[in-house]
Amino acid sequence: MARYITVRLFHGAIVIILISLLTFIVLRLMPGDPVFLLLGEGQVRISEEQIQAIRTRWGLDKSYPEQYLIWAGNMFTGNFGESIIRTGVPVRDMILEAAPVTLQLNVYSMLLALALSVPLGIWAAVKRNTAVDYASSVISVVGIATPNFWLSLMLIILFSLMLGWLPPFGLRSWQGFIMPVIVLAIEQMAVFTRVMRSSTIEALKQDYVRTATAKGLSRNAVILGHAVRNSLLPLVTVIGFNIAFLLSGTIVVETIFALPGIGRLFTDSIFRLDYQVVQSLVVVLAVLVVAANLLTDLVYAVIDPRIRISR
Amino acid sequence: MNTEGRSTTSGGRRLTRRDFLRATAVGGSAAVFLAACAPAGAPTGGAAPTTAAGEAPVAGAPKQGGTMVWLGHQEVAGLSPDDAGPDVQAVMINNIHNPLVYYNEFNELELVLADSYEIAEDGLTYTFKLKEGVKFHDGSDFTSADVKYTWDYYRNPDNGAVRAGLFTGVSEIETPDDLTVVVKMATINAASLANWASFPIVQSTYHAEVGESTYRTAPIGTGAYKLKEWRAAEFTELEAFEDHFRGRPNIDIIRLEVVPEPSVRTIALQTGDADATVWPLLVEDSLSFAQDPNYVVLKALGNSIKHFPLNNSLPQLSDKRVRQAMMYGLDRERIVADLWQGAASVAHSNIPPSSFYYDPNLKQYPYDVEQAKALLDEAGWVPGSDGVRAKDGVRLSFTMTTITGDQARRPIAEFAQQQLKEIGVEIQLAEAPVASILEGLRNGTLESSIFNWTYNNGAIEPDPFSTLHSTGGNNFNQFKNAEMDRLIEEGLQVVDPEERRKYYDQIQAIFVEEVPCLYLQYDEWLNVFSARVKGLPVDPKASTVWFYRAHEWWLD
Repeated sequence: MARYITVRLFHGAIVIILISLLTFIVLRLMPGDPVFLLLGEGQVRISEEQIQAIRTRWGLDKSYPEQYLIWAGNMFTGNFGESIIRTGVPVRDMILEAAPVTLQLNVYSMLLALALSVPLGIWAAVKRNTAVDYASSVISVVGIATPNFWLSLMLIILFSLMLGWLPPFGLRSWQGFIMPVIVLAIEQMAVFTRVMRSSTIEALKQDYVRTATAKGLSRNAVILGHAVRNSLLPLVTVIGFNIAFLLSGTIVVETIFALPGIGRLFTDSIFRLDYQVVQSLVVVLAVLVVAANLLTDLVYAVIDPRIRISR
Repeated sequence: MNTEGRSTTSGGRRLTRRDFLRATAVGGSAAVFLAACAPAGAPTGGAAPTTAAGEAPVAGAPKQGGTMVWLGHQEVAGLSPDDAGPDVQAVMINNIHNPLVYYNEFNELELVLADSYEIAEDGLTYTFKLKEGVKFHDGSDFTSADVKYTWDYYRNPDNGAVRAGLFTGVSEIETPDDLTVVVKMATINAASLANWASFPIVQSTYHAEVGESTYRTAPIGTGAYKLKEWRAAEFTELEAFEDHFRGRPNIDIIRLEVVPEPSVRTIALQTGDADATVWPLLVEDSLSFAQDPNYVVLKALGNSIKHFPLNNSLPQLSDKRVRQAMMYGLDRERIVADLWQGAASVAHSNIPPSSFYYDPNLKQYPYDVEQAKALLDEAGWVPGSDGVRAKDGVRLSFTMTTITGDQARRPIAEFAQQQLKEIGVEIQLAEAPVASILEGLRNGTLESSIFNWTYNNGAIEPDPFSTLHSTGGNNFNQFKNAEMDRLIEEGLQVVDPEERRKYYDQIQAIFVEEVPCLYLQYDEWLNVFSARVKGLPVDPKASTVWFYRAHEWWLD
């Protein structure tokens, strides 16, 4: 087990280094010069000397390998550099400021989605090919098919403009979370419900379920005590995958509801060629994905003793 | 930022002759929806609002208190005077700080921290007398040392300031006493008052102590509002500065909320969650607010031209007759009316119509397909079998790269594609992020695009060096004209406006004759306010700078 974790960690480190290198190169290949973006427009006259001074100020005059090594070296010490656009603010602070917003959005919406989709999935499986099952299918399909931005705007129009119950944007109060969380939950719920339904159907077919029924257990005890326990496993895979993206994937919702999260920081920074922010964020996200994958694999072993980690 | 393509330096001053005509014509359309917005005697000078209120009996006396919420479209990245970002930043920075002088929303030079100023005959010495008794937010006195420090710091190349270019020509700053600043120029810079003299002043000892990086996050100025809380991507909150030299502002709190999605900004105004938009809404939304008595829409024409830059170094675009033909081939009146809801004015020069330097008698390009075809025939471009003209094996075809996601301007490019097809010109459309487009045009690897940019230096300053000089930093058109270069250089050396005008008459004449770019229109800049905001300017001429006057407003 210890050996397995060590090997996985080693692989993870290589992946992260490659990702950081690739991100660094791709960003430099992107056309455009951050200095000119910094200058904005309407500058009266700026001399080559002044442009050079700005470059020096931000370390953009150094060679690419040198820039990469400085940045990578700093990353190890937890120093992600400074944002060019939000001049001088440490990138780490920007990420730490934005992360809680996205994290909360994702956690709340995942919990809400699970709370709704697990019972719905089980119910649909038990009442297979009845109205309940079809209804849950329709809800899932609609949930997946509804575009985020459209649903967000419709909710704002309904709850803010027409009813006046909720603020149209921002996180000034806890009410600000309600609409974004609903939008994100509906999307995830669709997937969770389908997974839960099919794995429960699968579990209900198993011999041990028939045995449990045969020995006279109540229907609820059979379903909840025997079938569902086993049908949760596929859901854990999906959740594990979602955890890896807890800090991303909310770009649209963050933009519409004006929430200062990671998604907006990321897209804003790409458009503004804020190299330090983009490359640092990519590495942070890569670390999270690698760690979450490892964690998911380990959790399997705990939940299901039949799975043994080999090598 | 240039995503939306417009000038932001020194506040962006805009005005037009059309607006002026409207203002003077009683019952003009502009006057109709502006009529309710402010008392007839609304303070326009630098007087304290409490004294000016007596002259405005219609709307009642200014009230103290309240929170006013402004809406911006992107984060307020920093609050130093050097942050040459979009308007959302400029309005915050200029409410926290004050300059010595600035051109206000009526394009008049207004004294702020300066009590008076004097320019020497030769244009090489500027002497400013400063106001007495001005306090910074930390309680310290404002003196000439702060002015000297600010200007010296931001013009020093070692500090890598982005706006150092504003200080072109400044050689030395002297402070004979606490309330006098003398600026010696190495070369004449006719744009001085609009540029470096309008630069906001920082508290010198504090800035020297904490440095620029920290200062950006915690500024100390003399402005009517001081920074309360700053969360770049979320909101910036300012609170009234009790000891402001023009008197305590009426409104207690000003909060700028960052809301990127325009439709949500519109809804926030409708629900009352916000009182004003610093960044415009979709044109159609602004126009519908203008019909509603619960809102006031301030508008002014921008200085930036919405245009198609053209790479003049391409063989198919190098002949001015081709470029002229395309001007004739575009129905610009229709673009304004149908694609821009009429909230713009067709451009006839690189200088906005209301500028002192605007020449009304320039050559114009009305929509005339026959004239366009005749010009192309004359230039030797013959229609091929596919309808596209060609000459010496070169097809009259080029690629127009629009800004990714630019829903507002893309339809204009598509319209031009249709129209120019009629005269045998082929346009291919592509998309790219704004940074790549600007770079590609600057180094001549792109062929064309569409965005707004200033081919002048505002309504006050006509200098187009950056865009029309062959060595200009923003020579998007790869335009190289020796006569133009000479006129631009000489125009900057002349201080007397009447004398100067001759140079800019010629510059405009070359611009319309050579057609470096396909210039379309000057857009109207619309800011929506809730009608509960009182004391707003009546029929202003320049947009955005009206937000620098927030200390005179009050909430009803």
